[in-house]
Amino acid sequence: MPKLIFRLFLSFVLFVSVFIFIQQHLKPASFGKYGHYRANSINDNKMRTSYFKSENKCKECHQDVYDLKDNDVHYGVRCESCHSPKINASAECKEMPPKVEGTLKFCGQCHAMNLGRLKKGVPQLDFKEHKQGQNCIECHNPHAPWELKEN
Amino acid sequence: MGTKRKLENRRKFFQTSAALIGGTLMYSLIKPFEAIAETKEKDTEDDKANLPLWGMGVDLESCIGCGKCVEACKIENDVPKEPFYFRTWVEQYTVKNDGEVKIESPNGGIGGLKQSVPDEDIFKSFMVPKLCNHCTKAPCVQACPVGATFISPDGVVLVDETYCIGCSYCIQACPYGARYMNPITKVADKCTFCYHRITKGLQPACVEVCPTDARIFGNLKDKKSDLVKFLQKNPTQVLKPHLNTHSRVFYNGLSSEVK
Repeated sequence: MPKLIFRLFLSFVLFVSVFIFIQQHLKPASFGKYGHYRANSINDNKMRTSYFKSENKCKECHQDVYDLKDNDVHYGVRCESCHSPKINASAECKEMPPKVEGTLKFCGQCHAMNLGRLKKGVPQLDFKEHKQGQNCIECHNPHAPWELKEN
Repeated sequence: MGTKRKLENRRKFFQTSAALIGGTLMYSLIKPFEAIAETKEKDTEDDKANLPLWGMGVDLESCIGCGKCVEACKIENDVPKEPFYFRTWVEQYTVKNDGEVKIESPNGGIGGLKQSVPDEDIFKSFMVPKLCNHCTKAPCVQACPVGATFISPDGVVLVDETYCIGCSYCIQACPYGARYMNPITKVADKCTFCYHRITKGLQPACVEVCPTDARIFGNLKDKKSDLVKFLQKNPTQVLKPHLNTHSRVFYNGLSSEVK
């Protein structure tokens, strides 16, 4: 074999093996386990903190309110649809109760007149005519909306 | 003496470099066989067969455009509050009597969508919640140059935040506009079906808060799940079927105006 070709061959082998060597060391351990990605990233995605706790957590303390809501027209509406979520539900709930003001604007998110949501079983109100300037919860119990309070 | 030492040095150099090269080559040759020896490949395939396949149904006949899902998603996933970063958002489509279609989504629908067209001009009006469609053949995954976005074995398109280089190719590749560049982490961000929740047996935040059950989440492999029942009961469609993305978000009552 000519010297030139031998040297060329040697440097080619050297280049390839250096490439493989570096690649093996730079590649994260779990890369390629399931596909062209880092398999450990699946666990990273699972590790986030959850704010919303679901109704089962609320029921631990507020079973009575839950029962009232669940037997009335708002049965499909979950607690956290209106009450803002807490990271540590049981502790933070007492310090900062997730109160809802029940303003026309707040309830209007679902109940303000909009042609796109008419005929979908959600009562629609024109708030220009209905009790302007009052809060909804002054008359309605949000957990049982048709139990009207006496004014 | 000088020549001899030079020669010895050269011999030593060749010996060590040959050993190094040989060793590396042997290692790289043996490595692929490790997997076979441990039957790793087979295990992962078995795992995959037992895993769920997540999907979502969206019932446009129930959606009232209250924007609760958008708000909940932003809280749950630390999405910036500015009105142009969304993992999910709700659009209101208004078809006017003259045939013109108006699409609006102020602040993604947070605070409830409001109709801006006078009632007498409206032919029809409806809300369309949008989110990542978790495509089986995801264009964003194909576009990613570093393998930082991928389809997990249970069928959710995820982002590897530590691996993403922030090149935004996936954002351009997504035909549904479901991705955005997070200004805080400086990496691409998108709907994960609340992967941290669904893997713990909870529902995604948007499904959890929806007051009219317009979003149905479940396992497509489980024939008794709510989602499969929803698909059996209703004629559903996916968005942009001509793109062949085989998405796993199914819409009931989808009008032809929806883009």
